[in-house]
Amino acid sequence: MVHLTAEEKSLVSGLWGKVKVDEVGGEALGRLLVVYPWTQRFFDSFGDLSSPNAIMSNPKVKAHGKKVLNSFSDGLKNLDNLKGTFAKLSELHCDQLHVDPENFKLLGNVLVCVLARHFGKEFTPQVQGAFQKVVTGVANALAHKYH
Amino acid sequence: MLSTQERIQVAQVWDLIAGHEASFGAELLLRLFTVYPSTKSYFKHLGFCPDETQLLTHGQRMLEAVGVAVQHMDNLRAALSPLADLHAQVLRVDPSNFPLLIQCFQVVLASHLQGEFTVEMQAAWDKFLTGVAVVLTEKYR
Repeated sequence: MVHLTAEEKSLVSGLWGKVKVDEVGGEALGRLLVVYPWTQRFFDSFGDLSSPNAIMSNPKVKAHGKKVLNSFSDGLKNLDNLKGTFAKLSELHCDQLHVDPENFKLLGNVLVCVLARHFGKEFTPQVQGAFQKVVTGVANALAHKYH
Repeated sequence: MLSTQERIQVAQVWDLIAGHEASFGAELLLRLFTVYPSTKSYFKHLGFCPDETQLLTHGQRMLEAVGVAVQHMDNLRAALSPLADLHAQVLRVDPSNFPLLIQCFQVVLASHLQGEFTVEMQAAWDKFLTGVAVVLTEKYR
């Protein structure tokens, strides 16, 4: 359960309405793969990940980033039931993809940095706080079905 | 170990911060305390709601130390030895808090530099600050 105040919920939806979900997803995933290169271990089939440029312009990275962020976006509509919303995805990440849940925290933090980059001063400490709560909630929900 | 390219990235970013240590540091601390309130447990001398002067003073001190680290990327251990002693013997900040500070640092950089905050800069600074954190906690036991 993620506990956002009414103000935090308003800050999150206010900002999210202005996010270009398709672009931000690709950028967040790309930055994850560059800043924490060991995360590339899950993406052997993605082709050229040999340099920051290659990663950031890789079409599979962009496509997958878009998919991930659209899913995250769904979560934002269901902040009161993140565990339910992400139950199936949690099972997938455990049983099929074998992703260490630590990676969800890393991606969440990178996403917060990307939002800060796009929104500048508008990304106040309060807005950051609200979004860090959300990404933590999503990461926990994705880890919930691990066994 | 930072590569030559990474050192250049670190220095380039520092050029943008130098001269503004107090305001960057204050914003860093404000974000840390807002986003991760448990970190305030290490700053009880600043009270529950530190005011701007306190944040500026302490923020400047912290960023000046980062500046020392930037000047001595080749030899962080020697340059940061007194600070490492301080953290081990007096401050004893649990090591789990350093990634929280680093995340807030990245957000300060990203929100100020925006279009100029390249992925290479983010990667180099994350690696650099993580290295600083390792040195600061190395003498803990």
